Amino acid sequence: MPEFDTDSQLVQDYKYGFYTDIETDTLPKGLNEEVIAMISAKKEEPTWMLEWRLKAFRRWQKMKDPKWAFLDFPEIDYQDIHYYSAPKQAVESAELDPELQKTFERLGIPLNERDALSGVAMDVVFDSVSVGTTHQEMLEEQGIIFCSISEAIQNHPELVRQYLGTVVPPGDNFYAALNSAVFTDGSFCYIPKGVKCPVELSTYFRINAADTGQFERTLIVCDDNATCSYLEGCTAPQRDTNQLHAAVVEIVALENADVKYSTVQNWYAGDEEGKGGIYNFVTKRGHCRGRNSKISWTQVEVGAAITWKYPSCVLEGDNSVGEFYSVAFTNNHMQADTGTKMIHVGKNTSSTIVSKGISAGKSANNYRGLVQVMDGAKHARNHSACDSLLIGRECSANTFPYIECEEDSAALAHEATTSNISEDQLFYLQSRGISEEDAASMVVKGFCKDVFKQLPLEFSVEAVKLLEIKLEGSIG
Amino acid sequence: MPTLNLPLTEEPSLLPGFDETVLESARSGEHALLQAKRTAAYERYSVIPNPEAFHEEYRRMNPDLFRFPSFTRLDIPNESVEVASSDADEHYDVVIAVSPTGYRIQDRTGVLSQEGVNVLTLDAAAREFPNLLEQSIGTAMVADEQRKFLDLNGAFWNVGFFIYVRKKVELPNGILIRYYNDQAGTTLLPKLVVVAEQESRFAIAEEFSSPDGVETLCVSGREFHLDAAADVKLISLQGWGNKGIHIGEDWARVKRDGKVDLFSMTFGGCVSKMTVGCDVCEPNANAYLGGVFFADEHQHFDQKTLQYHSAPDTYSNMMYKGAVKDHGYSVYQGIIRALKHCVGVDSYQTNNNLVLDATARADSLPGLIIDADELACSHGATFGNLDQEQLYYLRSRGVPEGEARRMLVMGFFDEVIDRIPFKPLQDHLHSVIARKFGSL
Repeated sequence: MPEFDTDSQLVQDYKYGFYTDIETDTLPKGLNEEVIAMISAKKEEPTWMLEWRLKAFRRWQKMKDPKWAFLDFPEIDYQDIHYYSAPKQAVESAELDPELQKTFERLGIPLNERDALSGVAMDVVFDSVSVGTTHQEMLEEQGIIFCSISEAIQNHPELVRQYLGTVVPPGDNFYAALNSAVFTDGSFCYIPKGVKCPVELSTYFRINAADTGQFERTLIVCDDNATCSYLEGCTAPQRDTNQLHAAVVEIVALENADVKYSTVQNWYAGDEEGKGGIYNFVTKRGHCRGRNSKISWTQVEVGAAITWKYPSCVLEGDNSVGEFYSVAFTNNHMQADTGTKMIHVGKNTSSTIVSKGISAGKSANNYRGLVQVMDGAKHARNHSACDSLLIGRECSANTFPYIECEEDSAALAHEATTSNISEDQLFYLQSRGISEEDAASMVVKGFCKDVFKQLPLEFSVEAVKLLEIKLEGSIG
Repeated sequence: MPTLNLPLTEEPSLLPGFDETVLESARSGEHALLQAKRTAAYERYSVIPNPEAFHEEYRRMNPDLFRFPSFTRLDIPNESVEVASSDADEHYDVVIAVSPTGYRIQDRTGVLSQEGVNVLTLDAAAREFPNLLEQSIGTAMVADEQRKFLDLNGAFWNVGFFIYVRKKVELPNGILIRYYNDQAGTTLLPKLVVVAEQESRFAIAEEFSSPDGVETLCVSGREFHLDAAADVKLISLQGWGNKGIHIGEDWARVKRDGKVDLFSMTFGGCVSKMTVGCDVCEPNANAYLGGVFFADEHQHFDQKTLQYHSAPDTYSNMMYKGAVKDHGYSVYQGIIRALKHCVGVDSYQTNNNLVLDATARADSLPGLIIDADELACSHGATFGNLDQEQLYYLRSRGVPEGEARRMLVMGFFDEVIDRIPFKPLQDHLHSVIARKFGSL
């Protein structure tokens, strides 16, 4: 066995691939009602929450995992996963483990409020527990609740009970049911009536322990006339085995509320041979419940071995607006089946979809989307544009939009293109003295611009950098 | 690589009325070549799972709507009989007419007596061109596709024709095939095999009709083989009476420089499931798939197109235009598939839908499956009612509203209809659309 060289190409490619050696409190492998009861007990949850979990678990046992996605991966043994793993120190005391602190410094996450970027309040989830939330006091003054979901279950049970599972019901799909049974942590945001959240709320997810699954649950509620912007980031160490991440995100937007949800997903994607990496099976859904409400999803997907993710909007309130902006980049043996659902229920609802898929190496990148205009959704409007860029001859790009229209007053348009980087553009840039690789990188960045400009500033810069790193070596 | 196909069944999965006994009666007294072909198709048919409402392809058209238990296979005698002629006949070189009692092949301009054009039944073709038939039955489809109804037709067809046009031969007026079924509770299973040699050029028109109120089922299967630089057009007009159920499967394989145009016009019947596939399998092969449909009065149409690019530098274009009104429901599903290393592919899909009132519904599921770079594949789909501004413009020029709406609808469909090579057929289509549109 050759010694592992920390300067190897591999580590450069994925700089978040390190592992933090800390003491953890881990439940034995396997999934049964006992494990769920233990998770619930560790979180000191009320009985209604445990019953809710068990109900979801019983539903899940009767369900089969979905096979319709254009993904190819071996059967997952759900009994071979630790469903709970937490850094011991964080659980035992409020003081942060110095090792953990270092980890987050390496990742560039400001946990300490003094050093924090002034504009971002952050909740950090390490394996199965939230290890710290910043700016809580300042937010409390405005009546904003931003904490981990476990805290919310204890401190604000009435709000959690009112909204949890109302957008993504526990039996919605296989992975959502699994998540509802075993979810461990995630964020809870509540923006009260009329409040414009002054800072960006952000959660950072990190998988550290081996053979664990991470089951995050996030619930965002924006009351009447409130607005908020929420960011999410994720990384994991490099391992040869696959790890499961099954999350559920629910957003509720009441009258005139405006929610913007941005993700930069950079889970470990496996090595060049396709070994290891995170399975990212996520259900994200927003519900525009009130009139004039708006939910906007922006996602930059550059990691994970397999991505199965369809952030959706149910446009129930009249005049509500749904938006979806996505860049999905796949390289090596990565597979992504991602897209959105826009379900028009109310009158005068409108939605926009901009999806950019880039596939390189031997990867497969699928867009799968649904635009549905229900009977009675008068004057619904949708415009979808899905573009795919192929780099290299071994990759594939597939587009599967579904459009269902039950209204004569609707106006829907969909367009999709698939092509490679234009030779003309490359030639032009090269003739101006730009190297081929830089030229290709510029073309790709231009291709993604429509999506990047939707991201908050810091994220936008990070996303561009990430894409540059990911593109290295895949052109030419 | 993940596949869209379903796992094959271990137990035979048969549709009501299409089992081994029926196969035996279909095979009896036939040429050995055709018997072998039927058996091969039956073997594939029996292991492909029966369509179910939860299968992706049938989620929008429950297969129970085909009502197989209510129909029995029509036994059409393999003999030439007198069939009433139609006004349309005079525009064509050759007219084939099929009725439940038999068929008639009529050579109107004497093209069949010349060298180079053969239009005959599959039975006669098996005796005359056994080698060619051996190569061309059941081979037009892409091997890794799973089409249950094409194999059902291949095993149980009850009337079959073979059209064979030799090198560099052109037919000035084309061939018309008319299918008529007035026997309630019967299934017509027409099969058509077309072989176009190098640089041949011709067009085939097909018409399906039955009286209103007569319940009929039709499972049609057609295969086209185009050799280098051949140019073939097929225009299929589905005009069954209001109780007709139609299932159609068309497959074309196009070689170097060849060009196929497959038009599918769906207006009649109550339920129609049409699949058109083409495989442009050598460089510079070209396919155009055109479709026009108009669903009203609770009609339910489902059209599927498959554009396969199994060679580099191949082209295909698809344009399906439909209107729905009065509880009509149309579904369009399409796939462009570019296989590995097929660079230089240029392919397009367009699906435009006119939703003319709130009771109607239209679904569109265009799809791209691309495994190569250096190509350009795209699709577009639109939904909407007639453009108010265009209507206003026409009315401001003194055109009455009804007439203005009719003009806009005709203009909408003409993008496809204008490409049809038969003028009489164009006129006929216009009158069908005008009749359907009429009450608005």
